[in-house]
Amino acid sequence: MARAADFAIRTQALTKRYGDVGALVDLDLEVAAGEVIGYLGPNGAGKTTTIRLLLGLIRPSSGRAEIFGVDCHRRPVEAHQRVAVVPGEANLWPELTGAETLHLLGQVHGKVDDAYRDELIGRFELDPSKKVRAYSRGNRQKVLLIGALMSRADLLLLDEPTSGLDPLMEQAFRVSVGEARERGQTVFLSSHVLSEVEALCDRVAILRQGRLVESGSLSEMRHLSAVTVEATVAGEMPELGGVSGLSSVAVEGKALRCQVHGPIEPLLTVLMQSGVASLLIREPSLEELFLALYGRNSDHAGEH
Amino acid sequence: MAVSLAPAAGTKPAFRARTVVARRTARRSLRAAVLWGYVFGITVASSAFSYNTIYKTAAERRRLDLVFGANRAVAALFGPAAHLDTVPGFTAYKSSMAVMIIGAVWGLLHSTRLLRGEEDAGRWDLLVSGETTLRQAVIQALSGFAAAAALVWLITFAITAAVGRASSVRIGVQASLYLALALVSSSVIFLAVGTLTSQLAASRRRASSYAGVVLGLSYGLRMVGDAVPGLHWMVWTSPLGWVEELRPLTDPQPLALVPIVAFTFAVALAAVYFAGRRDVGGSILPERSSREARLRTLTGPLGLTFRLMRSSMTSWVVAVAIGGLLVGITAQAAGSTVVGSSVEQVFTRLGAPGFGAKAFLGVIFVILAMTVGFQAATQFGMMRAEEAGGRADHLLVGAVSRSRWFLGWLVAVALSLLASSLAAGLFTWIGASLQGSGVGVGSCLAAGVNIFPPALFILGAGALTIGFLPRLTGAVMYAILGWSTLAELVGGFVAESHWALDTSLFHQMSAAPAVAPNWQTSAVLAGLGVLMAIVGHQALLRRDLEQE
Ligand SMILES: Nc1ncnc2c1ncn2[C@@H]1O[C@H](COP(=O)(O)OP(=O)(O)OP(=O)(O)O)[C@@H](O)[C@H]1O
Ligand SMILES: [Mg+2]
Repeated sequence: MARAADFAIRTQALTKRYGDVGALVDLDLEVAAGEVIGYLGPNGAGKTTTIRLLLGLIRPSSGRAEIFGVDCHRRPVEAHQRVAVVPGEANLWPELTGAETLHLLGQVHGKVDDAYRDELIGRFELDPSKKVRAYSRGNRQKVLLIGALMSRADLLLLDEPTSGLDPLMEQAFRVSVGEARERGQTVFLSSHVLSEVEALCDRVAILRQGRLVESGSLSEMRHLSAVTVEATVAGEMPELGGVSGLSSVAVEGKALRCQVHGPIEPLLTVLMQSGVASLLIREPSLEELFLALYGRNSDHAGEH
Repeated sequence: MAVSLAPAAGTKPAFRARTVVARRTARRSLRAAVLWGYVFGITVASSAFSYNTIYKTAAERRRLDLVFGANRAVAALFGPAAHLDTVPGFTAYKSSMAVMIIGAVWGLLHSTRLLRGEEDAGRWDLLVSGETTLRQAVIQALSGFAAAAALVWLITFAITAAVGRASSVRIGVQASLYLALALVSSSVIFLAVGTLTSQLAASRRRASSYAGVVLGLSYGLRMVGDAVPGLHWMVWTSPLGWVEELRPLTDPQPLALVPIVAFTFAVALAAVYFAGRRDVGGSILPERSSREARLRTLTGPLGLTFRLMRSSMTSWVVAVAIGGLLVGITAQAAGSTVVGSSVEQVFTRLGAPGFGAKAFLGVIFVILAMTVGFQAATQFGMMRAEEAGGRADHLLVGAVSRSRWFLGWLVAVALSLLASSLAAGLFTWIGASLQGSGVGVGSCLAAGVNIFPPALFILGAGALTIGFLPRLTGAVMYAILGWSTLAELVGGFVAESHWALDTSLFHQMSAAPAVAPNWQTSAVLAGLGVLMAIVGHQALLRRDLEQE
């Protein structure tokens, strides 16, 4: 069993209620140090709530949360020492320039890698002499991103960090997260951009209506889900009724298209009997996976 | 609340789209307009009725008229008093200045909030698209304000006319119309001024401070004109002076409407003109989009707080200093007429017994205390705005504890209040000694320090509220201020309402320099402020941060 401090993030039955609304319900989440985890869920699922709880900005209704073994609620300042954040909304001081904002964020943090900051300013093509008032939305987001990355903090909490960024900058962001991973930093990435999560994350956790509905590596999650099989048989189409785990079966002459849940061998065995002319097995894309999960009925939501 | 997105049946969608700003402005002004209509009307009614109960005999009335009518101290503070031996004269005098100031402050805050405030928040981007240009939007907003002002006028008129029918009051319909017009005119002027400054300045705070400067100057100019013999012409250089010169009920002078209307139109036209020459979200006064970074003072939360407060702090200190200088200059002339029972009685009730410049300054420092209290409310409101806007998060997710953030703001605001208090004392003394009024620098400075504790109390009340009910922070501070100001006004003139005075925050401090400062009560006020701040701090540590 790992010690508490080996986990970058650990929550136990973490719950936040607003009146009757359970913004986050009984969240048990463990993120190992050095892990890059994607945190997904539809609008209003509770992602921002989780991050604000981890930061001690809001108080849990029940349960607890720790960052590197330090209680987020009781000792927030200590917990913050190893954390850098990109908040969900880019609210900055309109009167300050980009450089002043970065300076201030650095002061508040305590430690800044100046060389890396300058590298990031170049990479994200930010003009730091402009006032925040004069920045576009994407440029404000860049200030926040640079502010978080330049600290080289052990844990990066990123709430939709690429909202408003153009594709080139999105690429720069991926490079930066890659660097963070190489340095052993932990990254907690809440995002709606599935391709970004697919490219960057070792593991994903999916939230729905305040509850954790899935958590695991992408390959694990794919196994949980159906694969699509498209096959053409050489002879007669065999009888498929006895094969377990099939759904959405469509047969057209010698062509078959269906979904398979669980092991694929029984289907292959049956198909082999009449000879296989062509075969295509496709794993679901992350997008299909999530669409299936997001779209589930709410009574399934709490089962995991 | 049901929200209908479909256009109402029978109106053309295009017309509705082209008037969306006008209707929105009118709707958002409706509640305030009704409220002020009632407040103005009730001020008139209470003045009219209280006159008969307080001044029963003709002899008493004549004496009141003789004493106040020629009194420059009273004229400087509350405008000239004429025909105080009649109900209408007293009514006009009692209601004019209070309504004039309240109306002007509302006008400038309301217009800058609905125009520059909405624009700051990015909501005009939605409104000013498609059917409407910025210039048209400002024209529409002005018509919305005009509708609101008309409503205030109507309600004030209706109440005045109803009250005027009473046999003891006797104010005719025409006179009521004219009085209501005079009462609403300062709101109209400053709705227009706020609309103009909203085009000039790049943020709501700046827009309202520019309009505030216009208001302060107007008050100061007419004050000198009313108080100093031979300088009466200065009244005509001030928008508030023109309103005064309307002289409703006593000696109507509709000619004064000419500069009021001309000024309002000119200001409104300028606003429309400038609106057409800028972008949505942009401003006429140049706002440099980039500059050298100034990092030296930006060392953490306290440095940031001072950076954010800098312009507000300078404006307040300068405003209080100029105000102090002006009243200091008038002190000798005004104070010399504070002899005679009635004025002395008023001053005595307000805590400043005696006569001469000192007594006058005693009342002045009560007003300066209100001003610095107002400063406390606006500046502490900036801290709540930091939280509500989510900007405080950046500090609190770092190495800054909530305690440090909170204490930083309290210390910064308290220092800024102290600076204003000292400026009030110092510059009032300079003004007074220019006129050789013989008030010592020591007693003026002490009077300045003396107005600091009430401001600290208001700051403490804000700190207490932000701990428990953050959204009400501003409301609670302004409620204390508003109530206390009203209590001073009513309690000062109506002997029977001493209980009202007792509830005023500013009546708790002694009216230095008219009397010696009572440092014990000051310590109690300041101590209560600190105590409230401590309790608020404990509550703040235990609650969620609340954004808006
Ligand atoms: N201050 C609040 N008061 C009441 N309800 C709130 C408050 N803050 C959040 N909620 C509710 O909590 C739930 C979770 O909100 P949260 O902001 O965490 O969602 P999210 O997953 O970040 O969504 P998004 O993808 O849109 O950013 C929502 O139903 C929201 O309405
Ligand atoms: Mg969110």
